[in-house]
Amino acid sequence: MTTERIVRARIDQSGTLVSADTPLLRLQQRAGGGLDRPLALPQLARLVALAQRLGREVTRPLYAADDHSDIHAIVRILPDDDGANLEISDWRTRPIVDPQRSLAAGAISDPRGWTWECDQQLRLVALRSGSDAPPVPAGWEGRSLSEVFELQPDDDGNFPVLRALARQAHFEGQRVRIATPDARVGMALSGDPVFDGTRRFTGFRGSVAPFEASDEAVVAPATDPAFGSLPLSDPQFGRRIDGALRGPLSRIIATAETISGQFDGPIRADYARYAGDIAHAGRHLLGLVDDLADLQNIERPGFKAARDEIDLGDLARRAVGLLAMKAEEKNIRIDAPRKDDLMPATGEFRRVLQILLNLIGNAIRYSPDHSQIWIRLDREGDRATVTVADQGQGMSAEDQTVVFNKFERLGRTDGGGSGLGLYIARRLALAMDGDLAVDSAPGQGARFTLSLPARDG
Amino acid sequence: MIEPFPSSGIDLPSPTLSARLRELGDYLAAPSVGRLTEEQRALALGIARRLIADIAAQLDVGIDAAALWSDWLRGGIPSAQRIAVACFARAEEHRWRGQIAQLGRETPTADDAGAEIAEDAAEAISSDVDRTALALRIADRRRFDGQGNPCIALVDLDADVRRALLLDVAAWQLARSSADVDGAALLGEAVRSAIEAAPNDHGIDHAAAAYRAALGPDIGRASAIAIARHDWPSLIALAAVETQRSYGAMAIALLTAEIASLPALLAPLGLDRRTIAPLEVSLTMLPARAVSGANAGDEPAARLAAFSSVDGLPGDGA
Repeated sequence: MTTERIVRARIDQSGTLVSADTPLLRLQQRAGGGLDRPLALPQLARLVALAQRLGREVTRPLYAADDHSDIHAIVRILPDDDGANLEISDWRTRPIVDPQRSLAAGAISDPRGWTWECDQQLRLVALRSGSDAPPVPAGWEGRSLSEVFELQPDDDGNFPVLRALARQAHFEGQRVRIATPDARVGMALSGDPVFDGTRRFTGFRGSVAPFEASDEAVVAPATDPAFGSLPLSDPQFGRRIDGALRGPLSRIIATAETISGQFDGPIRADYARYAGDIAHAGRHLLGLVDDLADLQNIERPGFKAARDEIDLGDLARRAVGLLAMKAEEKNIRIDAPRKDDLMPATGEFRRVLQILLNLIGNAIRYSPDHSQIWIRLDREGDRATVTVADQGQGMSAEDQTVVFNKFERLGRTDGGGSGLGLYIARRLALAMDGDLAVDSAPGQGARFTLSLPARDG
Repeated sequence: MIEPFPSSGIDLPSPTLSARLRELGDYLAAPSVGRLTEEQRALALGIARRLIADIAAQLDVGIDAAALWSDWLRGGIPSAQRIAVACFARAEEHRWRGQIAQLGRETPTADDAGAEIAEDAAEAISSDVDRTALALRIADRRRFDGQGNPCIALVDLDADVRRALLLDVAAWQLARSSADVDGAALLGEAVRSAIEAAPNDHGIDHAAAAYRAALGPDIGRASAIAIARHDWPSLIALAAVETQRSYGAMAIALLTAEIASLPALLAPLGLDRRTIAPLEVSLTMLPARAVSGANAGDEPAARLAAFSSVDGLPGDGA
């Protein structure tokens, strides 16, 4: 079995890094953070926020950099009520130049499994069975991996081996079916990339391990990600559209990042820039998929938000912590509530955080450099409010009437958003017996106010 | 008068002492000659063990390969001299190819010209070249076991050595099982079928010849690309075909060559000195390399290669 090291970390509800294995902690420190401080890695912080917002596990490629190297990894975020656990695998600082590394690294100790190796076109160049494994099929030499193994998508509709091919990275958990003389058996394929002396990717090598009985039941379905026939209200829809789009988009992004990063050698600067543009557009589309998945969720009949006892001051500070790096990039100062500013309210913790992240994120995006954003807490009767005010260009009365409409971007054509964020935020506020309102005038910035049922502290 | 040490005329009390005294005798006879490192010993021993296990499995009569190896470890491998060169060649090739992994970024890679060659290789290649290059890679991966350890593929083993090993293994099994007449006959039949079944169309020499034929006049360029990419199996294969050696003989010729003799050794490939440079640096950096040459008092590569062709390596391509 492959013994890949997993870097683990724990994030609390506010996005603070509570504990971390050394590689991540070191990266956090190099980025100006530390333990018991907000995550200083913007992409990771966004992913954690996403997982918490969706309330489900999220696995994504992670691209980070410190002062001397680029870091690629796969991060798995498992949110819970008190925060999230992070499991980061395939931590790479550069492609591994290892043309002759022993197969042992990817080999199996399970005698019921096989070992395999393929070239860069996924054609098999080695296939051996363990002592208790089914015999390897005859005539495997030079055949495509997908001919010998019937590849199955994972729960998200992805094919890990294809994603790994795009990223030239380690993969595991690629479910496959193999026809043996007796039956069709389910197995899981894992592999590590192989590079030659010029750091050129030359294929994968790894192992094929049998599924346990419990895993086997999971193998079967979803070879066809056809989601068109499903009604919007079907919970399957979100999962399938998510799976159907996320896999290809992730591959596009990963490939474009690879080209842009010139991992396979130098290319013309304008080509690298184009690839960077493709990756940027791909990330935008991926954000849209996230929003659509959210939209599908909140528009489902019977959608209800939880009624947690929350403190809007605390949540505002957490949101600011998560977006501080983004604000710093534009030298924007955020005037957040002080630690002793309390505003007890009722609402679903992660949904309120999601709304605040959207409001503050928009304020940062549309504010000029070196400007300021204010966050104020208030109470009006039985309503507790939090207001986010910026020094952006503001909006007309007409725009204010449509700003919460679905896909409304007020004429903006940049790649900054999907036009769904404010719509979703307001729907969420309404679902918590609250509201989201805007007050603005052209040239005078905008003030978004979230109101929720107040609670006596 | 009492002798301080036993005279040399007495029977030696143990195989261990006997072996050590032989080793010491060899050492005293040539103290300055480099000996095997522990890594070289371990690699060669592992290769021999896997070879014996594969031979036993080929007989397919339920031989206990672990017991066989255990017995031979104590008493010595009957065909030790026959397989020594083959095991050494495979072990040294493995060390060489593993050098990049161990040295990482320190490893010499192609200079700018070499990098250009490697980049250009991305151009379209003919389907014959692609197919035969893939077959060569498949043949090469047969020279590893399922765990990635180096081994000698039976299809690459010299027919005489293979026959000798089959007979040795069968003799051990016969002695161990004190088989009756029927059992002995069965074993004899197994040996005969194994010898007759000797396949040779999937071996690395066959794959190398097919690859070279597909390349046609592009062999020089392909060799240059192989050097730039540190793709030593391809280089060895092409050089072996062009110099009419077996793959194993070419590997050991390269691995024991003096750096100054590399251009002459690879002359049939038509490579210039600059193209060979990464190969020179790579061989220079390989520790404990057994360089041949008169000054070292070692056997010259040519003699070793000739020796290998009759005593363990697959038949020299001639």
